[in-house]
Amino acid sequence: MSDNLSDAGNIIEIENVHKRFGRVVALDGVSLTVKRGEVVVIIGPSGSGKSTLLRCINHLETVDSGRIVVDGIPLTDAKNIDLVRTETGMVFQLFNLFPHLTALENVMLAQRVVRKRSEDEAERVAHQQLEKVGIPEKADAYPAQLSGGQQQRVAIARALAMQPKIMLFDEPTSALDPEMIKEVLDVMLDLAREGMTMVVVSHEMGFVRAAAKRIFFMCEGHIVEETTPEGLSLATCKEERTRQFLRNILI
Amino acid sequence: MTTPSAHKDAKVDFTKKMAMVEDALPLWRRFDQWWLLFLAVVAITAILMIQKPDPYKRIAFFLWDGVRVTLGITVVSFVLILLLGLIGGLGRVSKNPLISGMASLYVEIIRGIPLLVQLMFIYYASPIILRGIGQRLVGIFPGIAAKLTTVQLNPFLAAVIGLTVCYGAYVTEIFRAGIEAIPKGQMEAARSLGMSYFQAMRFVILPQAVRIILPPVGNEFVALLKDSSLVSVVAVADMTRRGREFMSSTFMPLETWLMVALLYLVMTLFFSRIVAYTERKTSYVR
Repeated sequence: MSDNLSDAGNIIEIENVHKRFGRVVALDGVSLTVKRGEVVVIIGPSGSGKSTLLRCINHLETVDSGRIVVDGIPLTDAKNIDLVRTETGMVFQLFNLFPHLTALENVMLAQRVVRKRSEDEAERVAHQQLEKVGIPEKADAYPAQLSGGQQQRVAIARALAMQPKIMLFDEPTSALDPEMIKEVLDVMLDLAREGMTMVVVSHEMGFVRAAAKRIFFMCEGHIVEETTPEGLSLATCKEERTRQFLRNILI
Repeated sequence: MTTPSAHKDAKVDFTKKMAMVEDALPLWRRFDQWWLLFLAVVAITAILMIQKPDPYKRIAFFLWDGVRVTLGITVVSFVLILLLGLIGGLGRVSKNPLISGMASLYVEIIRGIPLLVQLMFIYYASPIILRGIGQRLVGIFPGIAAKLTTVQLNPFLAAVIGLTVCYGAYVTEIFRAGIEAIPKGQMEAARSLGMSYFQAMRFVILPQAVRIILPPVGNEFVALLKDSSLVSVVAVADMTRRGREFMSSTFMPLETWLMVALLYLVMTLFFSRIVAYTERKTSYVR
């Protein structure tokens, strides 16, 4: 299984990945690597393939060609994809909490079913994670009784309870009311400070400046430009397409 | 996509209100006005039996065995139908084209043939097929062949098979619709946590789908109870067949069929109310 390409420092390696939905080309030769403990942010206009790329890392989408290696395991010929998925936690734009379970049960379910933890241990970990995202008092509430921001924090706790090595965030704040965005971003910032490897699709410039190590600008299925938080400005970006995008979102 | 969060908040308020209304309801308020119709029919039946024991009480006593057979066949078939419907529904939503194709074929064929014809086919025609197969197997598996060539279908078994195969097709479609009604994100969230397809079905999708399919499946139960009267043509002594026996020995068609109709009505009205009750009890807002 050991591979010369797998540098010990790289936890995600994406090589020349192509993906199309019918006639629409979503990813057109994308390559990028993420190091252990790194926070990477992907920005770009809608339809540029950001979410598709993220979903490919979690194998929710299969790639047409190219190679994705997560924690040393190539996804294309992984024998047990469920095992790879337990290494990566995913947070969705629309939270996707399980509406028939309480917040606590949401965080417990996969621990019990996938990690085969005992009821007591799963409950202990769940309380711990809900504490960590700042809503221990909502353990017995159902998702419909929680605000959007609270739901998203439960969703983060649910992913963290599996002790993933990588966290993927797919526009985690874009379905939230403005005053709820901060509570979710604060949780994400804490995670970044703890050294979690994170790949984030988001346009929250506050988060990007505070946490991102590297930023990828995607457009029409390509990575057009790679930059850093300091370099993400109209003056420093090299590509015209990036500058055009920044002009639109910075106003 | 305009303001998903505002929409969400409206739903939250609605759920809280619903929860409060449900808690505030005293027990007697949970029985709606249709229970009165049920009580009226029970009362009419009782009055007939008390005021004119001959023939009504006599008919009721004669039908009693049939009531038990009707209920027994309905309940046994229904359990098997739920099982078949679940398997069929999972087959219909399968990504494997062979499996989903087979499930679709089953549904399309069975829904195109009247239940009465299916019952006739299973009771009268299928033993001939089995015997034919038995004769071919004589040289190869003598043991099995001997059993097949002398096969006799038990009427109760034939009725249960017929009802199960037929209603299984309709309930398959209900299960499929219920599973497909659950947003795609639920399966994705479950899979992203490392659950297998079947774990996600078992713990995330089906528990939610059950709430959606409970009312239509309950209606199927009531329909099944009525359609079980068709099994009287394949020599099962259900309520309808007992009614026919009573009529032919006493020549009292009016009184006999009035009593049979009332007893069916008592059962169907009762179960309809139970279905309506569970429907309100399990409805919830996403």
